[in-house]
Parts: sequence; C-alpha cells; structure tokens
Amino acid sequence: MADSVLHDRRPFGRISQYLNAARGNWAVVAAVAVMVVFVVVPLTYLMITSLTVSSIGTLGDWTLENYENAFASPDLVYQAFRNTIGVATIGTAISLMLAGLFAWLVERTDMPFRNLAFIVILLPIALPSILFVLSWTVLLAPRSGLLNLPLRDMLEFLGIQLTDGPFDIYTLGGVIFLDSLRGVTTIFLMLVAAFRLFDATLEDAAKVSGAGTFHTIRSVTIPLLAPALLAACMYSFISSMDQFEAALVAGLPGQVLLLPTLIFFTVRMQSPADYGLGAVYSIMFMALMIVLLVLYRRIINKSERFVTVSGKAYRPQMIVLGRWRYLALAVVGLFGIATVGLPALTLGWISVLPPNSALVLGTGTQLTFEAYIDIFTNPRSLKIVWNTLVMLTMTATITMGIAFLVSWAIVRGRARGRGLLDGMSFLPYAFPGVTVAIALIFVFLNPPGNYLRVYGSVSILVIGLTITYIAFSTRLMNGAIAQIGRELEEAGRTSGATQLEVMRRITLPLLMPAFIAGWIWVASHAMRSFSIPLVLSSNKNQVIAPEIWRVWQVGHLSTAAAYGVLLMIFLIPITFWMRRLMTRANRWMDG
Amino acid sequence: MLRVENLRKSFTSEGGLVDAVDDITFSIASGEFFTLLGPSGCGKSTTLRCVAGLERITSGMIEIDGEVVASNSRNLEANRRPISMVFQSYAIWPHMTVLGNVVFPLSTRGSGKKRRMSRKERRDRGMEALKMVQLDHLADRDAPFLSGGQQQRVALARCLVVQPKLLLLDEPLSNLDAKLREEMRFEIKDLTARLGISTIYVTHDQAEALSMSDQIAVMSGGKILQQGTSREIYLEPSSAAVARIAGNVNVLEGAIVGSIETPHEANVRMPSGKMLRCRTVEAKRGEGNVEIMFRPELVDVRLDDKAEPPVDSASVNSLPARVGRIDFTGDHLKAHFETADGEVIAKLAPNVVLTNGDEVTLLIKAENCVAQ
Repeated sequence: MADSVLHDRRPFGRISQYLNAARGNWAVVAAVAVMVVFVVVPLTYLMITSLTVSSIGTLGDWTLENYENAFASPDLVYQAFRNTIGVATIGTAISLMLAGLFAWLVERTDMPFRNLAFIVILLPIALPSILFVLSWTVLLAPRSGLLNLPLRDMLEFLGIQLTDGPFDIYTLGGVIFLDSLRGVTTIFLMLVAAFRLFDATLEDAAKVSGAGTFHTIRSVTIPLLAPALLAACMYSFISSMDQFEAALVAGLPGQVLLLPTLIFFTVRMQSPADYGLGAVYSIMFMALMIVLLVLYRRIINKSERFVTVSGKAYRPQMIVLGRWRYLALAVVGLFGIATVGLPALTLGWISVLPPNSALVLGTGTQLTFEAYIDIFTNPRSLKIVWNTLVMLTMTATITMGIAFLVSWAIVRGRARGRGLLDGMSFLPYAFPGVTVAIALIFVFLNPPGNYLRVYGSVSILVIGLTITYIAFSTRLMNGAIAQIGRELEEAGRTSGATQLEVMRRITLPLLMPAFIAGWIWVASHAMRSFSIPLVLSSNKNQVIAPEIWRVWQVGHLSTAAAYGVLLMIFLIPITFWMRRLMTRANRWMDG
Repeated sequence: MLRVENLRKSFTSEGGLVDAVDDITFSIASGEFFTLLGPSGCGKSTTLRCVAGLERITSGMIEIDGEVVASNSRNLEANRRPISMVFQSYAIWPHMTVLGNVVFPLSTRGSGKKRRMSRKERRDRGMEALKMVQLDHLADRDAPFLSGGQQQRVALARCLVVQPKLLLLDEPLSNLDAKLREEMRFEIKDLTARLGISTIYVTHDQAEALSMSDQIAVMSGGKILQQGTSREIYLEPSSAAVARIAGNVNVLEGAIVGSIETPHEANVRMPSGKMLRCRTVEAKRGEGNVEIMFRPELVDVRLDDKAEPPVDSASVNSLPARVGRIDFTGDHLKAHFETADGEVIAKLAPNVVLTNGDEVTLLIKAENCVAQ
C-alpha cells in the first residue's frame, strides 16, 4: 500500500534521499549547526578583523597592516609570550609538586584527618580567583601589605632595615605565586582519580617479585601513572595560560604583561582601542593554545589506553608516616591558610571597615556593617545580582542543552561528521576567555550581527560563557551517554517511540544525574566568571565578579570585599553539593 | 508473514567494505518459530536488526505482513514497524518501575495505534502481560532491583503487551545461567505458540535452536548455509560446516563409488580403501570427494574379544579402531578412537568400560552416516 506513495516520489528521488538522510540524522545536523554558530562564526570574525582596517560598525578594507604593527613592536609581544609561558611552566611545576604530594598523602598514607585534608584542598574552588588575587595584593603589597608589615618588624628586630617588601606581589614572581597556588586543586583531583583507578595489585605483584617500596614506586607506580600525570599537567598548563585575574590585578600594575592582559590592554584600556591589533594578538595566542591542545589530546588518548581500571574496592596498604604525619598535616594546613584562610579573613576584615579607612585599624575607628547594608539596599547591586542570576541560569541551561545534543550526535550518530563534531566541541578549550570576548565584540558590533542588538546585554555574556564551557560539558556528557547501553535506546525505538520520544523519555532521564551535575558546574563557574563579562561589560550587563574589581578599582574596598564575602558564602555549599552529585552520578551510572 | 529477499548489509571497516549480511533470502509463515543459528559474527544479529529497522539495509527487500518496510528506496523507521524486540542485555530501563517498562510501548506514538489509551487501560494491559510471565506481583518494583531472569521476563512482557505481529529475540538467554536458560526456553516457546506470534530467534546455541524452532536457518559468513526443520539440520546437514554449527560431529573424507542405489544411498570409499555405506541427500555421483558425517552419539562400540553375532553389513558400517583418550563426564563417556582414516569421537553410556589402547570395532548405521 505504501509502495504507491513511494513510486510517486520517484521523480524527486535524489532530493528526497538527501532529505531522508538529513531527517534520519537530524540530531547531527542540528549539532553541527549549533557548533558552527558558536565556534566557527566567532573565529571567522576574528580572522576578518585581523585582516581589515580597524573600525567598528562597518567592515574596513582588507589590509595586512595589523600584522605589520604586531611585528613592529616585537619586544612587547615577545615579553608577553615569554611571561605567559614562563608563568604557566613554573606555576604548573609548583602546582604539580604540591598536588602530587597531597594526593599521595590523602590516598596512600596514614596522615591524620585525611577527609578534612581533602576538603581543605578542595575549598579553593569555592573562592573566585578575583577575590583570591585581590586579597593577596592587600597582604603582599610592597609597602602596606598586611603580611609585609609584621615581616618588616621582625627583620628590623634582626637588624635589617627595609622601607618596603620583603615581598612584592606586583611582580612576575607574584603572578607565578598566585597561579601555582590556584592550580593545585585541579591537578590534585585528577591525580586522586588516577590513584583510585590504579590497580594496586600491580604494585603487589612487584613487591612479591622482590622489589622494595621505593623500587616499586620508581619502576611500577610512576611509569603507570605517568600518562595521567602528564595529562593533568597539560590541562593545568593550558588553564594557566588562560588565567586572567592574577595577570590583570598583580601583573599589569607592575608592568608585567601577559598575553591575556596584552590583548585586554589593546582592545579595552588604551585609547583609542586597536581592534585589528587585538585580533592579531588573539589569533597568535589561540594558535599557541591549539598546539597545546593537540598535544594534550594525544596524551589523553594514550593515557586512556594505559590506565588499568580495576574497579575493585580494594584499598592498597597505607604507608606509615610515623613522626612525619604531623608535618604532612601542617603542610596541608599551610596550603589551606594561603589559599582560603588568609584571603577569606582579609576580605572579611576589609568588609567591616568603615569607608576610606586605613587597612590597619587606628584608634577611634568603629567596625561597621555599612557595606553589607548598602549592598542589600542599593538598587544597583540588586540589579547586578539579578543580572548574575540570569546569566548563570541561562548559561548553564543552554550549555548543557547544547552539550546533550552535541554529545548525543557524537556518541550515537552514524553520520560521517562525528569526528569533526568531536573536534569542534573540544576546540573551544583552546579559546582564552579574552579572545572569545573580543571575537564576540566583532560579531555583534559589525553587520549583520549588530542588528540583533545583543551587544551590551546579558545575552552576549551568556554566549561567550557558553562557548568557553562547551568543551568541558560535552566531555562530561560524552562519558555519560557512552555509559548508557545503546540497547536501552533501541528498545525504545522497537517499542514504537520516535527518536525524539526516546531522547525525552529514556536518554534524558537516564542522564539526569550527569546533566544536573554539569548544570551546577557551569552555573557555579559562570557565577565567578571574570574575563568575559569584564571585556564585554557595559552599563546594562554588569555582573558580580567584574563589578567587585571595578568597585575595588575606584577605592570602595569594603563594598568590594562585602560582595566577595557574600559570593563565597553562596559558593562554598554549592561546591560541595556539586562534588557529591558528580560522584553519585558516576556511581549511579556504573551501577 | 515475513519475506526477506536478497538482503545485503555492508559496513565500512578498516579493510574497506564488508558484507555482514551477504544476499540472503528467507520467509516465515504466520505463527512460525524461526531461528537464525550461527557462530558470532555470522550476520545473524545484523539480519535481525535489519528486520527491526535498527540498521538501514544496503540492498534487497524486507516485507512484514504484506507491507514493504525496507527496500532500496524505502526505509520505515523502527518505531513504525509492527514488531517487538527482546535484546541480549534485556534493555530494561532503570529509571522506571517494572510496570512502567511494560506499558511504555502503549504510550508511544508509533506502531500505528489509532487512539490514545486511558491510564487505567494501559495499566490493565500491562498487568495482563506481566501475568503471562508470572511477574504481576513485582509490578511496582523499581526495575534495577530485578534478577537477570526477572529482567528477561519483563523484556518479554514489554513485547507481548502490544501483541506484535512479529517478535524478534536477539540471544535472549545468553546472559542467564544454565538451569534458568533451559527453563526459559520452554516458557518462551510455549508463550509464542499459545499467542500465535511469529518469532525470529537469534542464537549461537544449537540446543536452544534445535529444541525451540519450527524452522532453522544456519548462517555463516553472512550467508544462509541451510534452512530446514531441527531434524533436517541435525540429521541431514548439507555440509560439514552446517553439521558442526548444529552440534558435535565426526567428519571423514571419501569418494562415492558406483551409482546411487535405493533412494539416496551410496557406497563411499575412504582413503584407506575401506568402504562405508552412507546416505546422500544431494547426489554427488562418481568422481569428486565427499565429506562423511556422523554424530558421536550414534556410534556404537564392540570389543573385539567378545563373541557377538555378526553385523548386517548391508545396513551397518563397521570400522576397526584403537581406543585413545577417554573423558568420563558423569552423564556420558566421551571416547576418542584412532582409525585408519582419522579420529572418531563417540559419546557412549557412562557404564561402558574401555581401556586406552584397546582394539575395538566401531558400528555406525548406514542411515546415520551422511555423505555430502
């Protein structure tokens, strides 16, 4: 009966064949379309801007002038590249040593309070970078730093006279210090995961073959963990390259220029702004990042083949530290104080100081909650909180929606474009926040993008953040979807459900734990996001993290600190809730 | 009921295009229990998935209940075909209850239902299906809290609830333990027979295939080697390959001598010069080598030192042999024998006493010897 319908269609055979193929793979088609809009379009605009005469509102004439300008001042570019790579290299090395030590202490030794230590090492995630960096400039400013003052007193007691220092945060060393401390938690989590997946019977096998503890660690443990270690380093290195807060707050005042700040300076600080030159710098920065990303992918592909997943709930023997256990605990404690304790205390202290007061309390000054009252009554701050909430809700929802679609197409799709899609969704990991932001400026200030009137709204922040979080969220979803047996979906199809129905009633509910965990991850990162909202900020779309910096810049330190304290109070429980959800999501999937 | 004509399904793999299913044709009568039997990778599951609509066919035609569902120019999606399927992993959705799983097909838009059912109606239908598999007492339990056998029954109930025209079973018993597997065999066979559902059953287990099927198609390398009833496949295999897929078999070489006499019987000479009388279904006359096949359980042993009446050499073949390795497994004795023309295995009663090195005579009835 249906055959007659079929024959009627024959004259349009070829067209209907294409339509049919598209209909069968509509998820892939949609996913590719979304990725083109979010990844290819901004990249293209960046390219075009680098090749045209700098102007905003219309596209200028083609030119190579921008590239000539970039190479006309090679010292500046060279310095920025050298500093960026130097900070990332040294910072990652220090992070790795600390993280490796901590992971080993927490997973393999009898150090007391290991669970508490785990939480302490995790806590920095809950502290937005901008707050961490600002508070350390208060602590280690060369003249008035709250830590430098007592240190100078002590040195004076020893007979050494100094007018400032001994430490100065506004130096390359200061930036490295901040970056290395921030990098520890991520590497730590990756190493702990590797430790837990590690099949400890491999070590036992070495031991019963006659190898001693150190021989075993050297010849079995480290070689087997090496790919995971390398992957963690690479990840941390790439993140360090993109770090903006320390470069801006500690680096720029001390004339230490890094690539992100060089771009920011060119496009947003100097007058007149040079968009063409900013685009050239961005492309150079991205090219470097893409090289690193390709290396990183090679490494993880290799390490995935290498890691022996045991899945057994078998805990290897604890190494007895003896007397050293309290020293170990003290090191962890010191880390906690440096990353969270001191910054939080500093911010708390500043937030209750009266406006324009000195940081060290003189006689007769009264502590006050004025800053907090101001935040809760000022319509401007309410608007900022509202903007932030809108931004993080939209970003998390859109990002996870896209991630679901794209991952589904990657994992389940049959079309040939899957590999390309996989690459496109991972590529944004190589996009520094600053470059994404300026690419969006070009997209939405030039025709035809300017007709959308997105520039200056919260939506443009959402688009920018979505681009930067797509890589992480698709990785998360890829893993989650791959764990859902294909037959669960096929059973839906043979039960009479359409592909869309299967997605809605089977795939999505099964993915819920991972989806929610990812949603919260994106939301909490969006909440503290700094570089993208800063570069794209206007009067109407101020959000909390850049606002803190802005308020701080104009001298309202107590207001900025009060914002920070409120943000932390909000973020700490969310961070731990998210951890719980993510672990539970994984366990649920495995079970 | 089902017609599959010249079905071909190719996949691109590293070595280029590979035909997983290579031009196969078969059909199933209404209410028939049809089995695709073959080793893993022979294309039987791919064939089933093509019928289900989970794979797009490369060429050929599939017609279910008079409607072409797949051809070179048409591909009806899985949800619109009048089929139901049980998967190897059961594919029980862990986020639903047992009843939720079973009534799911009643609430989808596909499979050509005209009207939406009320909640109560769906529940009643679901309970009815669960009753058929004796799981109605677990209806409201969460699906992950079921044993393998119970999940298997839920998967079956999920198919029966829509009264499909064609039921597809993809190695449904392979994840169960041996005892449960035997139990479920009869239960599945009984249910489909009682409801008169046409069934395609895919398995690599010859015992399942032989005990359940009305028709068996033996597949290998993407092709159907032989199709027939269980008895035909087991006792009259068309080739050694089929005989091996259907069970343990002794294969010796020989050549037919003279003409084929009484319907399908011939003399076969083996390399040693020894003659065997065999049945031959596909006549292969005179020249050309044939394979002589006989099942181990159809071999008798006579110890030479005992005086027994002579055998009727016209209907029983006798082969001198020496006893080799002997495996005593309890329910039978598996004995290996060396003959002038190769090794022969016999499956004997457990009380037979043999000693390694004994000279014996093997007796095989001509009707149990197949030469092809």
